[in-house]
Amino acid sequence: MNGKSGSMTMNRRSFLGASAAALAASAAGKVFAADETLTFWDMVWGTGATYTAAAKELAGKYTPEGGALGVRYQSIPWANWYQTFTSAAASGTTPAVSSGAAFLPFYFLEQGVAIAADNLIGKLDKDGKNDFLPGLLPAMKTDGGYAGVPWSMDLRVIWYRKSLLEKAGVEPPTDWDGYIKAGEALKKIGHIGLGLAAGSTTTDAQHTVAALMINNGGGFFAPDGSLNCVSDRNIETLDFINELVRKGIIDPYAASYTSDNLASDWKSGRVAMGFGQTGLDKTLPQEIKSDAVVAHPVKARHGDLGTVYYINSLWMFTTTPSQESSEAFLAWYLDNMHVYWTSGVAIDVPVKKSIADLPIIQSNPNLVLSINEWQPVGKTIGAQAPHAFAALNAVDGGAASAAFVQQIIQGKTKSKDILETLEASLRKVVQ
Amino acid sequence: MAEAHAISEGRRLTRTSAASRAGAQTGRKATMIGLAMPSILLMALINAYPLGFALVQSVHNGGLLRLGKFIGFRNYLNVLTDPAFWSAASFTLLFTICGVFGSWLIGFGLAILLKPQFPGRNLFKVLLLLPWIVPIVVTSMSWNWLVATPGSLLPQLAETLGFGQILFLADPTMAMITVCLFKIWISYPFMMMMGAAALESIDNSVYEAATLDGANSRQQIRYIVLPMTARSTYISWILMTMFSVNDFATIYLLTGGGPVNATTSLIVLAYRSVFQDFLPGYGVAISFMMTIVLVALSLLLFRQVRKAKF
Repeated sequence: MNGKSGSMTMNRRSFLGASAAALAASAAGKVFAADETLTFWDMVWGTGATYTAAAKELAGKYTPEGGALGVRYQSIPWANWYQTFTSAAASGTTPAVSSGAAFLPFYFLEQGVAIAADNLIGKLDKDGKNDFLPGLLPAMKTDGGYAGVPWSMDLRVIWYRKSLLEKAGVEPPTDWDGYIKAGEALKKIGHIGLGLAAGSTTTDAQHTVAALMINNGGGFFAPDGSLNCVSDRNIETLDFINELVRKGIIDPYAASYTSDNLASDWKSGRVAMGFGQTGLDKTLPQEIKSDAVVAHPVKARHGDLGTVYYINSLWMFTTTPSQESSEAFLAWYLDNMHVYWTSGVAIDVPVKKSIADLPIIQSNPNLVLSINEWQPVGKTIGAQAPHAFAALNAVDGGAASAAFVQQIIQGKTKSKDILETLEASLRKVVQ
Repeated sequence: MAEAHAISEGRRLTRTSAASRAGAQTGRKATMIGLAMPSILLMALINAYPLGFALVQSVHNGGLLRLGKFIGFRNYLNVLTDPAFWSAASFTLLFTICGVFGSWLIGFGLAILLKPQFPGRNLFKVLLLLPWIVPIVVTSMSWNWLVATPGSLLPQLAETLGFGQILFLADPTMAMITVCLFKIWISYPFMMMMGAAALESIDNSVYEAATLDGANSRQQIRYIVLPMTARSTYISWILMTMFSVNDFATIYLLTGGGPVNATTSLIVLAYRSVFQDFLPGYGVAISFMMTIVLVALSLLLFRQVRKAKF
C-alpha cells in the first residue's frame, strides 16, 4: 500500500473517466434505483385463480437484459375495473404495462396517458416475432399509432350440445333459417335454442346481438366511423332475433339473466345452443365437455358470414420508469405467453400463429375450427368502422347497449324503433 | 366637583376593564379559531374540495381524465330535457314512497305487535332484524336465487298455483314491483326499531286511562300512539327518504337498473352516466339536482317535526 486509497481519491483524469462513463450510461439508458421495477397490471383472465398463478409465475421468470428493469406482477380484479384504471390514470399512478378490457388502450392513448406500441411492433418485426393472426394488428391501429399489442382474443362462436340436437332430430344450423328450424325442434323437447344473458350488469347478450349484426353485414357504425344503427341489415337482424323470441327459442327470462345464470343453464342442459367464448367447454362438467361442439359459421340472410371478437391487448402507460424496459418486457412476455395455452389456463383464442400451431391447440377441434373459420370473419363492435376507437368503451357494456338487448328480448317493439332508440342513446356517448 | 371626578374616574375604569375584557375575549376567540382550524381545514379537504371539484365537473364536458371545455349549465339543461332522467325520477319517486311508507307500515305494525311481553319476544325481534343486519350483497343474491330463473322458487310456486309464467325480474313492471318489495323487506327492521323506541316513550298509564275511558285498540292507535310517536315517525321518514333516494346497492345488485331501464333510479342513472357512459359532467349534474331536491324535502319534513306536539 502506498498510502493512497484508490477508492477514495479522485484525480482529474479519473473524474473525467467517471464522467464519461456516466454519460455513456445515460446515453444507453436511464440509471435506475436498485429497487426500481416495472409494474405489470394483469386482469383475472381465463380460468381465474389458476390463470393468475400461472401469469405471476411467468412474470417472475423474466430476467431483464442490458440494464433494463425487472417487473412486478399485480393481479387486478374485473370488479369496478374501469374505476380502477381511470382513478389510477387521473392520479398518475398507472402501471408501466397492463392488460385490460378491449377498448381501454384506445381511450388511454387518446387521453395521452398511454404510449403507442409502434416501436414494440417494429422490434417484433425486426426479431421475426410478428406472427399475429390476420386482421388483428390492423384492428389496433389508430391515427396516433398502435394502441397496444394483442395477446389473446375473446372470439364469439356458436356452440351446440351434440346429443341434444340429435335428440331433437336436427342437424347443426348452417344458415339463419336452419337456426330457426333447429331452435324450434329444441324448444319442442324443452331446450333453449339461443342462450342469452341480458341482465343490465352483463355484456353477454350484447356480444351475441353484435355478432349477429356483423354476421348479417351490419354493425353499429358506418365505414366512415359514424353511427349507423338504423340500417336495413340491422333491421333484418333484429327481425331475425324477434322471430327467435316469438317462437320461444330465446328464453324470456334472459332479459334479467346474469352470466352465472346462463352458465348454470349451459351446465344443466337447459340451453342447448348459442354464442359463447371459445373456452365455453372448459366451464362445463367433465361428463358433458365432449358433448359441446363449435358449429361452422352460419350464413345470414344475404349469405354473409361474421361474428364479433374482442382483442385483449397489452399496452404501455406513460408512467413507466423506462419505456425501453416496458417494450423489452412485453417483447419477452409475448414470446413466452404460450404457457397459458399449454397449461390450459387460457380460454380465449391465441393471437399468434406460433401458438395457434402448437400441438395442444391443433388437437382441439373446436379451437381449430374457431381459429380457421370464425376468426377470419370476425370484427370488433366498431364494425363497419375500419378500426376500434375510444368511444367503444361506452358502447360495450354501456347503459344504451344493455337497454337495447333487453328491449329486443321483450319482443314488443318494432326493430326499427329499437334501433332508433339505440342510435339516439349512443349519440350521447359517441361524439 | 369631587363627585364629577369620581364619576369620570369610574367611567375610565369601566372603559379600561371593558377594553381588557374585549381584548381577552378576542384572544380567546383567536385561540379557539386556531384550535379549530386543523379540523376546519380537514373538513374542507374531505368535503369541500370534492364537492367543489364535482361542481366544476358538472359545468364541463370532459371525461374522467380531462376536465374538457366549460359549457355552463348545458349539462343541467341536457339532464332536464332527457326522457331517461324523468323516467329515472319517476321510478325514484315510486321506490322512495314504497321504501318509506311500505317499510313504515310493516315496521311500525310489528313494533306495536311486539310491544306486549310474551315468550320468545326477543328472539322474534332478532329474527325480524335479520334483513337489516345481513349484508345487502347476500340478501340480493338470495332474492336473485328466489326469482331470477324459471327454476327459482317463486316462479315455480307461481306456476304451480296456476299464475303461469311470472317474469319477476325480466318484465319491466314486475321488476319494479320486485325491487320495491325488496326495498321494503330490507328496510322494515329499521322502521321497527325506530317505532319500538318511540312506543317505549309512551307511559302505560296513558293506555290505562284510555282503556278506562272506553277507547278500543284502534282508537288508542289513532288518538294516542300515532300522535305521541309523530316526531319519531317524521324523523324516520326523513332518514328513510334519504336512504331510499341514495340507495344504489339494492337496485344495482338485483336488476342493475333494468330491464329496459325500468328500475333505473336517479342514483343508478348518475352512476351509469359517469362509469358506463363516461359522461361525468352529466352524471354529477344529476347528483347535484338530487341533492337539491333531497335538501328541500328534508327541510319540509323537519318543519313537520317541529310542528309535532310530542
